[in-house]
Amino acid sequence: MCFRCAELNRRSLLIGGGVAAASLSTGVAQARIRPADMRPLIGPGFRPTDRDEIGLWQQMDRVEEEVSGSNILIKDPQLIRYLQNLIGEVGGPAAKDMRIYLARIPEFNAVMFPSGFSVIFTGLLLRMRNEAQLAGVIAHESGHFLRRHMIRMWRDMRMKSDLLSIGAMVAGVAGGAAGVNTGDITQLAQLGTLLSLFKYNRTMEAEADAMGARLLAEKNYPAIEMANTWEQLIGEADASARHRRKRRDRGRSLFATHPSPESRMIDLKISAAEVTVPGRTYDSRRARYLQAISPIRQMILDDQVKLNDPGASQYLIETLARDGWNGLLRFYEAEIWRLRNRQGDAQRAAQGYAIAVAYPDAPPDAWRWHGLSLIKAGRQAEGRVALSRYLRMQPNAADAPFIRQMIS
Amino acid sequence: MRHLGIALALALSVPVAGCVQTRQFADLQFTPPQGDYRLLVMRPDVTVNSVTTGGMPEPRADWTEQARAHIIAALRAQQAARGGNVQIIARRNELRGVSEDVVADLERLHAAVGNSIALHKYLGAYLPTKPRRGLDYTLGAEAVELGRRTGYDYALFMHAEDNIVSSGRVALQVLGVAGCIVGFCAPNIGGGGQFAYASLVDLKTGDVVWFNVVQTGSQIAGLKFGDIRSPQGAAQLVERLTGRMKPGYEVRRATGRS
Repeated sequence: MCFRCAELNRRSLLIGGGVAAASLSTGVAQARIRPADMRPLIGPGFRPTDRDEIGLWQQMDRVEEEVSGSNILIKDPQLIRYLQNLIGEVGGPAAKDMRIYLARIPEFNAVMFPSGFSVIFTGLLLRMRNEAQLAGVIAHESGHFLRRHMIRMWRDMRMKSDLLSIGAMVAGVAGGAAGVNTGDITQLAQLGTLLSLFKYNRTMEAEADAMGARLLAEKNYPAIEMANTWEQLIGEADASARHRRKRRDRGRSLFATHPSPESRMIDLKISAAEVTVPGRTYDSRRARYLQAISPIRQMILDDQVKLNDPGASQYLIETLARDGWNGLLRFYEAEIWRLRNRQGDAQRAAQGYAIAVAYPDAPPDAWRWHGLSLIKAGRQAEGRVALSRYLRMQPNAADAPFIRQMIS
Repeated sequence: MRHLGIALALALSVPVAGCVQTRQFADLQFTPPQGDYRLLVMRPDVTVNSVTTGGMPEPRADWTEQARAHIIAALRAQQAARGGNVQIIARRNELRGVSEDVVADLERLHAAVGNSIALHKYLGAYLPTKPRRGLDYTLGAEAVELGRRTGYDYALFMHAEDNIVSSGRVALQVLGVAGCIVGFCAPNIGGGGQFAYASLVDLKTGDVVWFNVVQTGSQIAGLKFGDIRSPQGAAQLVERLTGRMKPGYEVRRATGRS
C-alpha cells in the first residue's frame, strides 16, 4: 500500500474494444469518499484471527525482519523517534502498534505493510515543507492499516479470481455442450476482472486519503496540507517533464492503482474543508519539522541533485525556498547547473556558489566550489581565500591535501 | 452420477503429467561430510501455501509452522544417523557468540549467491567460460569467519515451499476433466507442488560445495508427490534433498565411481 506507486505497462493490457465494454461496469471516475464515513475498523492491539490474515501476517513478520535489518535504513535514533512519535500521534487507535522505518531512497513514497509497519523514503522527507505535510502522508498510510485495506484487497482478489476461474470453466463446458466457443467472452471477463481489481485498489487509496484527512484534523494539523502536498508533486512532475520536453503521465487510466494526482488533490481540498472546524486553531509545526530533519537535510538534498533530473530538482528547491532561502538551498541550486553541465551552466553555477557563500549557513562545499570557480575564472587570489575558508571549515576533508597544495 | 464416473475414469486415463525432479551440483573436490563433523543448519526457510480456486497461493501460518517443525525434526534424525554433530538454529539470535546481524548478513549473501547458482546452473543461463567446473561459488571471508568463531565445519542453508491445492480448485479440475466429454477439455489446470533447495557451505574455505534442488508437481490439481505438513512428507523431502549427496566429479573419477 504505497503512497504513490509505479503503474503497470498498460499497453500490454489493452485488448481492443474490450476496454470500452468492460469500462461500462468499472469506470475510471471515482466518487469522493467522505472523511466522516471513515471510521477505523480495528482497535488498539489488533491481532489477526482469520486464517488468511494470520498467514499474511506471518509472511509479513519475515519481511519486517528483512526490512528492519536492511543497510539502506537510516538509524539516527533521534530522527526515528521523531517519526515514531508522529505515527503515534496520527495513527488513530493503532497509534502504539505501528512501526516506522526510514529508508535512504531519493524518491517520493511511503509504504504501509499489512502487519502495520511502514517504510518512509528519504525523498519524501525532502519534499515536505512542514510537519503537517509529513503527518498527512503518515496518516494516509495509517489509514490503510486502520481500514484493513491489505486483507480486504487480498480477499477481493481471491473472490474475483475464484469467480473468474469457475465462470470460465462453467462457460467453457456449457459452450462445449452447446457447440459455442466461449473464448472471447472469457477473455473479456478476464479483462473486466482485472479492471475491477484496479478500481478496488483506487477506492482503497481514496479511503486512505479521507481517513488521513480526518486523523490529521483531529490532531490539530491543517488538513489542507495534504492537498498542498499533491499540488507540489504535480508541479514537480510537470517541471521534470517540461525540462525533458516530455509530457507528464496524467495517471488517469483504467489500469491505475491510484486515483490521478489531480483528483486526489481536489478531493483532499474538499475533505480538508469538511474536517476543519471553524474557530479552532491548526498548526503546521514547520519549525519542529525542520529541526527534526536537520541532521540529514544536506544528505537528502545531495541525493536528489545527483539524480540528474534538473527540472524536478530546481522545482523542489524553489518550492522549499518559498519558506525562505538559505545557504544550503542556494548551494544545491548551483549544484544542479554544475551537474547538468550544458553551455553556460558553469557560469550559472559559479554565480550560485557566490550567492550561497553570502549566507552564514553555507556548507563547506559551497566555499570549495566557490573557490574553484573563481580560480577557473582567473580570479586566483579570491579563489585562494575561499578555498582556505573551506579548509578551515573542513580540515579533514578527503581532498584537503590536494586543495592545500593548490593554494600554497 | 454417470458423468462423474466417466470424468473419474478419464482423470485416471490422462497421462500423469507430473513428477519429482532433483538435480545436484557439487564442487569438483567435494566429498560428502562423514564421521565426526560439526554441521550448522541455518534457519530453514519454510512456507506452505494453500492454492485458491482461482490459483493464487495463500500463505497458511499453521501449516507453515507444522511443516517447519517436521522438517527440523527430520533433519535432526537424518544427521544423527550420519554421526554428525548438528545444531539447527530456528532464529537468528540463537547462535552463541555471533550477533544477529552477522547471521542475517550471511543469510542475505547466501540468498544472492543461491540466486546466481539457480540462474547459471538450473535456469539455462550457463556460463560458457566455466564449463566442467562443478560448483564454483563462494560466500568468502564472512563464512570462514563464522566457522572460526563457532567451530562448525559446514553450514547448510535450506528453503522449502509447498503449495497445497484447495478443494475448490480440485473441484474445478474435476469439472475441467468432465468437460472433455463435451469437447471442452481442461485436464491440467495444476497449481500445486513443492520447490526446495539446499546448499552446503564449507566453513573452512567459505565455498558452496554442494547444491541441490527438488521440484515436485503435477499438472493435475489435487495430485501430489509429497506433503511437508506431515512428518513422513517432511522426512521424504529432506531425504530427497539431502539424502544422497554425490561426491564431486574429480573425487568420483579418482575413486572410479563416475
